Amino acid sequence: MTVANRWLEDGIRAYGRGQVSEAERCWREALALDPANERARSYLASLIHAAALAAPAAAAARARTGPSCAWDEQPGRVPVMEISADAGGHDVVSALVDSPRHASREEQVADLMQLARDRFALGDFSGSLEVIERILALEPAHGEALAYLRENESTLVHMYESKIGPLDAVPRLALRPEEVTWLQLDHRAGFVLAQVDGTASFDDLFALSGLSRLDTARILARFVTDGIVR
Amino acid sequence: MTTDHEPVIGIDLGTTNSVVAAVVNGSPRVIPNRGGQLLTPSIVAVAKNGKQLVGQLARRQAITNPQNTIHAAKRLIGRRWGSREVEDARKVLPYELVAGPGGHDVRVVLDGNPISVPEVSAMVLAELKADAEAFFGRVISRAVITVPAYFNDGQRQATRDAGRLAGLDVLRIVNEPTSAALAYGFGRGLEEKVVVFDLGGGTFDVSILDVSKSVFDVVAVGGDTYLGGEDFDRRVIDALVFGFARDHDGLDLRQDRMAMQRIRDAAERAKCELSTVPTAAVHLPFIAGGTAGHPALHLEAQLTREQLEDMTRDLVDRCIQVTAKTLKEAGLRPQQIGEVLLVGGQTRMPRVQQAVRELFGREPSRGVHPEEVVALGAAIQAQALTEPEASAAEVLLLDVTPRDLGIMVAGGFFQTVIPRNTTVPASQTHVFTTSQDYQPTVRISVLQGESELAAENELLGEFILEGLRSARRGEVEIEVAFDISADGIVGVSARDVHTGRQQSITVTATSGLTEQEIQQILAEGASQAPAPADESGARRRAALEAALEEIASLEPAVALALQRSRFGTDALDRAHRLTKQAREALASGDGQRIEAEARDVDRTLQLFRSLASGGGVA
Repeated sequence: MTVANRWLEDGIRAYGRGQVSEAERCWREALALDPANERARSYLASLIHAAALAAPAAAAARARTGPSCAWDEQPGRVPVMEISADAGGHDVVSALVDSPRHASREEQVADLMQLARDRFALGDFSGSLEVIERILALEPAHGEALAYLRENESTLVHMYESKIGPLDAVPRLALRPEEVTWLQLDHRAGFVLAQVDGTASFDDLFALSGLSRLDTARILARFVTDGIVR
Repeated sequence: MTTDHEPVIGIDLGTTNSVVAAVVNGSPRVIPNRGGQLLTPSIVAVAKNGKQLVGQLARRQAITNPQNTIHAAKRLIGRRWGSREVEDARKVLPYELVAGPGGHDVRVVLDGNPISVPEVSAMVLAELKADAEAFFGRVISRAVITVPAYFNDGQRQATRDAGRLAGLDVLRIVNEPTSAALAYGFGRGLEEKVVVFDLGGGTFDVSILDVSKSVFDVVAVGGDTYLGGEDFDRRVIDALVFGFARDHDGLDLRQDRMAMQRIRDAAERAKCELSTVPTAAVHLPFIAGGTAGHPALHLEAQLTREQLEDMTRDLVDRCIQVTAKTLKEAGLRPQQIGEVLLVGGQTRMPRVQQAVRELFGREPSRGVHPEEVVALGAAIQAQALTEPEASAAEVLLLDVTPRDLGIMVAGGFFQTVIPRNTTVPASQTHVFTTSQDYQPTVRISVLQGESELAAENELLGEFILEGLRSARRGEVEIEVAFDISADGIVGVSARDVHTGRQQSITVTATSGLTEQEIQQILAEGASQAPAPADESGARRRAALEAALEEIASLEPAVALALQRSRFGTDALDRAHRLTKQAREALASGDGQRIEAEARDVDRTLQLFRSLASGGGVA
């Protein structure tokens, strides 16, 4: 592995930990050592683009409330991005999809595919899966994405199943019925929990849930690790 | 539980639920399924994850997976494609029905594959057989199966075929009301007219029997094939759904199948509870919402018996009207009835019992559990057939024709030649005359049923007798002879009395499956059977050893992958523990232990392969 690529990987790891500034620094180092490194350029461009998108909102917030923290007063500084797209912030994936630099769909897909590979290599299977789903939204028949989809799902399912334990075991509710309402569940998890009756095995619950194996495994693994069932 | 002789089971193969029973130590008793329940839903499904489910588990995903959940197959068994019954069923069943290869019988589409209705019923029967085998600890190969009294020969044959496909030698097909009466009359020497009021899950059947010691004669049947306990459930479901909508700004849970599955189960539970207690609580946490921006909502409701009775009053009234009509058609008054037997879980409802009491002016019999009584009667009959000397009562059920047999006559009417309940073997002749001047031919349409109109009965076959003597109408006499063998094969011949010209047809009850198809299904089942224990044991052992070897070779790469992952740091410890246990199992040579460990090891191996193939970690 070249030194530039090592910086590149360090940047991805930093990004994975939520350390965006560190990621930016690593990718700048990679680009300085290898100006032709497309991946470093692409990631950096995404960060800058995301920062640009975030800037008007930050400026508006500043206008309303005044400076709130040190970096607000440093215009050249890249704002911290949220990892989770659900939280409404910007992530690398969104930035790649939205970036005006990526004029063609092929380029967007290629960049996303690389990101998915990187995340997969780092063991971030959920993150990789999230990127793959975005690629498939753009290009449903993308062969490599479909292969990664299967691989990510399979790996995640196996991981969750390792948390669940033997699938022929019969789980039982570990809480009193009145305590169940204090949990934080959505209606799908509520449905799966309702099927835990002391007669159905974990394997049966996969069949009863009507959800994908991955979703069911995720829900059941959470029940086990949170001590909701035993 | 073991006995010296191979037990013979009695099966109540119901529209909604099935029950298996046997005579154990001289007493009939219901055999619980492997889940510990006495009732097994007559439901077969292929779950969304591809797993085949039968019984309770199939029922628990019926609403979330309606296209691949086959219920109420009994409504279709032995029916012809295009018949009124099949068309009615198509309107209400959520799964797809198609015509069989010959275009005559019905096929059910399960997981994309059309399969015959006897095959569906065979899956339920095989489940019951396996439950009985688990209970007795030995192979079970013989059974008596019950069917409604109105089932025709084709439906009975289809039920027999289902048993055969399930690996059962069906000793006898017995009418359900007869079976119920048998269970009630066992050792009591009944000799009177008995009404069997059978309100099951999906159908309501009322039968009037003339019981005289060991002879059970079904003299009248009536009912409503689309009225049952599930209609009562639906009223409770509606009350819960609309109550929830009222309390939550009109939120309609009917749009959410998961919610409806839970509500259906809870509604049935509450309904059953209300048969014994005055109020029942329904508590379904997280029935809706809980996702981003939507708070989790819980369904909390209280139902009273009075509310249930109010919302189902019309259903109970319908049962009573049908019963009164059946009595009237049989020319009987309620006071002439000696016993009223309650059959079917819905008859546990106090309001139903009260309505029956009001109609007949007497207490209905409730000596036997209404859900179990039919299967218990079948078990008694099974015992009587196989061990007559051990049977406490002289039980003799003769094979009889279930429906009137006859031909179509002028005007489209039906003329009975052999009335139902005729003991077989039997033969009967009837002389007819031509209806038109100089008529050269006559069409003989052989029918089965009780309607005066030929079109409303079932056509078994037809043929044409040609070359009739040329004469004015009414002058040519044609003798039609029906002959039924002990196996139920009907031979019909027609002869011009003057010329002696003759033509005939043989009608064999068919289920829609040909003998060749049955043989093919049985052969496929045999080829999928497990390998002999020794052979499969050696294969399992070799596979486990290979898996352990591969896990060991992958471990360094997996360890590295897990270091970099934020997930599953305890996975390696777990894997070490499992592989150690597996090696111990191999050393012990215990086949069951090896099999149990192999499953865990296989999962670990798959996980290791995924982690090791994760690119950058290597």
